[in-house]
Amino acid sequence: MTVRWGAALRPAGQAAAALVATLAVAAALLAIGGHSPVEAFSALVRGAFGSWNRFASFTLVQATPLLLTGLAVAIAFKAGVWNIGAEGQLYAGALAGVAVAVSFPGAAGASGLWLLPVALLAAAAAGALWAAVPAAMKTRLGVGEVITTLLMNFVALFLAQYLVQGPLQEARGVFNQTDEIPAAAALPSLLPGSRLHAGFLLGVVLAGAAWLYMTRTPGGFRMRAVGASTRAAEASGRFAAQPVTWLAFLVSGALAGLAGWVQVAGVTGRMYEGLSPGWGYTAIAVALLARLNPAAVVPAAVVFGALSAGGGAMQRDAGVPEAWVRGTEALLILAVLAVDRGLEAARRRRG
Amino acid sequence: MIRRIGTLGVLSLVLPLASGGCGDEAGGSGEVQSATAVALLTSGPVSDAGWHAGAYEGLQRIGDSLGLRVSHQQTRTPADFDEAFLSYAEAGYGLIFGHGFEYQDAAERAAKQYPDATFVVSSGARYSDNVVPLIFHLNEAAYLAGIAAGSITRAEVLGMVGGVEIPPVRGTFLAFRAGVEVVRPGATVLETFTGSWDDVSAAKEAAAAQLRRGADVLIHNVDAASFGVFQAVREARAAGRGAWAFGMNRDQNDVAPDVIVGSAVIDVPAVFLQVARQWRSGTLAGPLHSGLESGTVDFVPNPLLPGIVPAAAEARIASARQEIADGRLQVPEIRYLEDEEAGDGGSSGGRGRAQPSG
Repeated sequence: MTVRWGAALRPAGQAAAALVATLAVAAALLAIGGHSPVEAFSALVRGAFGSWNRFASFTLVQATPLLLTGLAVAIAFKAGVWNIGAEGQLYAGALAGVAVAVSFPGAAGASGLWLLPVALLAAAAAGALWAAVPAAMKTRLGVGEVITTLLMNFVALFLAQYLVQGPLQEARGVFNQTDEIPAAAALPSLLPGSRLHAGFLLGVVLAGAAWLYMTRTPGGFRMRAVGASTRAAEASGRFAAQPVTWLAFLVSGALAGLAGWVQVAGVTGRMYEGLSPGWGYTAIAVALLARLNPAAVVPAAVVFGALSAGGGAMQRDAGVPEAWVRGTEALLILAVLAVDRGLEAARRRRG
Repeated sequence: MIRRIGTLGVLSLVLPLASGGCGDEAGGSGEVQSATAVALLTSGPVSDAGWHAGAYEGLQRIGDSLGLRVSHQQTRTPADFDEAFLSYAEAGYGLIFGHGFEYQDAAERAAKQYPDATFVVSSGARYSDNVVPLIFHLNEAAYLAGIAAGSITRAEVLGMVGGVEIPPVRGTFLAFRAGVEVVRPGATVLETFTGSWDDVSAAKEAAAAQLRRGADVLIHNVDAASFGVFQAVREARAAGRGAWAFGMNRDQNDVAPDVIVGSAVIDVPAVFLQVARQWRSGTLAGPLHSGLESGTVDFVPNPLLPGIVPAAAEARIASARQEIADGRLQVPEIRYLEDEEAGDGGSSGGRGRAQPSG
């Protein structure tokens, strides 16, 4: 008994050591920068988890776009589609949703109930369309999607820049932003008195659905098979890989597109050119932390949301500058990954 | 899933441990007296030696001169704006600056929720009881810079490098162009927007392209990316060309003292201090205008490069400064305060300010 416990605890101990070591490095760096690590870390924790309202209004709100883009990346990667383009698909979705929403400024009340679902569909369709270009280039021409999805990000960013100071600019024609979306297009609040919007719930539901699909359906099996080895999947002769690849691209793009519009409809109320700080890229870290398991994307996104919300509090309450906050966040992400892998190793050795 | 929750559990357990379990003691940031705490949000780094740096200096001056508690957050996205405003207001900060038009919506949302706090929005578009826009008439200083620039160009080609094309920036360029035309009516003034406030290499490329097209005097309005403009001018000079640059927003003369002839400056620290004083005495009401008249906007020549601007031009600048301050000379501007720009599509030339600076 004692021997077994010891063997099981050793990797867990290593994981704890990795966490402590990373925290020590982060603390040392903060101290070198002249900031109290104790104050900084306690600000981070209080900022992210200080109260239920804080957790819901800040951490979960920050987690929402990462949840949807994280899902997009997890599903694509699982199917062997290296979609680096969630950022661009997010912008495409946000632009499409806003374009629909601001076209019906009078929509309100019961007669405007159709607007939000239509805007959501438009966002998903635009994201999927944005992913369809690299999908076609991969399946028809054999062009690697890593480069095409990445390049499509820049196209989307410049398109957003053009649209918010051109055709989609606010009616006043002054600032580089769209008009405010009508109330009927806004996502309802999830908890009264908090900023948490229905977009988070949508993300959780979609994560559950994606998990069911990937683990419990033939379609999900095919995705995983193609992701594991396209050639082996094709050689089995049971199904063609191309439609599976297409589906992965489109679903991934649609989810990322939703992320963009959900952010506008739930938080900002307008489209700006700087809508995303790079969620589509952070999503890759989220998906990897979740080990491409759609259900696990939810807690992984919450971890990143907590870091984001806590990072703001580090600046406000502990006076740590943005650059140090980002560095600390990156170290904490490394720590979380190290602990995660350490625990996994422990589990494997036990099993 | 269970593994994942395990990881989360470890994280949330260890973090408070790492913080020594003395969060309350270390905090000191819980409830603060609203009349004694001032906060600032910027959407860029305060190391930009320009727009954001000026605001940060202003915050520090409020802290030093009035003995108030101050705090700053650099926000990344519109999602952060609400979070920061609400957090500060909740923590009892009574005066919260959002340094840029982009903070308008979030400030208004927070202002409704926290009617006792005052939200100040630089270049803001709308005002209410506790939302105060600061309107900087930097175009007036850019006009004076234009006169100086027009007087030193030999090529009669000048360049303007902007970041994102927003009204306050377009206004400064419009005025700079008008200033140039006072002394060089036929001069060509090039205009490039890079679409970014912090892309130094894009700004440098844009500046270099204008220099290649024959420009020999450049002005910018690109925040942190201005270093790229100054570097391009410096390299042109190293290659044996006569080229000069002008600074913007903050007194940048010491950023590149070898190439900057002068800067169009907003004395943001002075404005912020004035705002804080009025707020404390309960007289703060928006909008608050800053221009040549109030002395918080001006063109500041580089003291290390005397004699670059001819004496005749200097006299011309001095008289224009006086005329603008007296209200006799109207500098072209782009209006963005909502009740001021009605009917003219946001752009107008030669109209006076609706309200003089306080």
